[in-house]
Amino acid sequence: MVRFKHRYLLCEVVSDDPRCRLTLEDRVLGTLVRDTIARVHGTFGAAACSIGFAVRYLNAYTGIVLLRCRKEFYRLVWSALPFITYLENKGHRYPCFLNTLHVGGTIRTCQKFLIQYNRRQLLILLQNCTDEGEREAIQKSVTKSCLLEEESAGEELSDSGGEEAAEPME
Amino acid sequence: MPAPATTYERIVYKNPSEYHYMKVCLEFQDCGVGLNAAQFKQLLISALKDLFGEVDAALPLDVLTYEEKTLSAILRICSSGLVKLWSSLTLLGSYKGKNCAFRVIQVSPFLLALSGNSRELVLN
Repeated sequence: MVRFKHRYLLCEVVSDDPRCRLTLEDRVLGTLVRDTIARVHGTFGAAACSIGFAVRYLNAYTGIVLLRCRKEFYRLVWSALPFITYLENKGHRYPCFLNTLHVGGTIRTCQKFLIQYNRRQLLILLQNCTDEGEREAIQKSVTKSCLLEEESAGEELSDSGGEEAAEPME
Repeated sequence: MPAPATTYERIVYKNPSEYHYMKVCLEFQDCGVGLNAAQFKQLLISALKDLFGEVDAALPLDVLTYEEKTLSAILRICSSGLVKLWSSLTLLGSYKGKNCAFRVIQVSPFLLALSGNSRELVLN
């Protein structure tokens, strides 16, 4: 069917400074990405990418950003992301870089990827953590996420079982 | 003895030339503006940078010949960058505040074609 197709770029803001993530704001990041595209790809790139451009999701605690752009020009946006070297807010400059984790066609696929990625990151954190209290907290979240995964898989099985039971009844 | 059977091999080149050559001429609205070769190349690169950014300003562009009197030059650009160079030359409007325009006289993937231009033939 005829519709505008988009690409969603799931990125992570990586920085040495812990204050950098807390100063993340969607408008600040949006203007920063637009200015970088204008610098790297010129007037043509700035105009092409800014039509469908939006910052769809922003998490200041984990530094996860979801950017949306048109499908025809997502490569221009993607190639301009490595040229972002600092975040500026209220006169403070924090050096950082954007790590692209996933490119998806819909927000739902990006969300599914993010859930799996966070599960893997929890396991890595569990290996690397040193404090006993932190270790217990992370183990609790890991078991909770595993239980949620089994529940959702179990729901799908029971749904299909319900359908099979309904058919012979008819 | 019969002659041995000849084998034929057919090679097809879609576009054998990696470079495209452009003959251009720079025209100013007022007379008396001169540029040397370095300033001319700087003008070309700034035109590319304006429209297409730093990535395409770094395209391998060469000024093969340049005549300061007539402000005409022969440029060489890789084939993938021809459209970008031509469009940025079209949209270039001024140099140091003075109005100017690029006239593209001839474009060809072969340099030899630029040596003889039937449009400049003088028939007596």
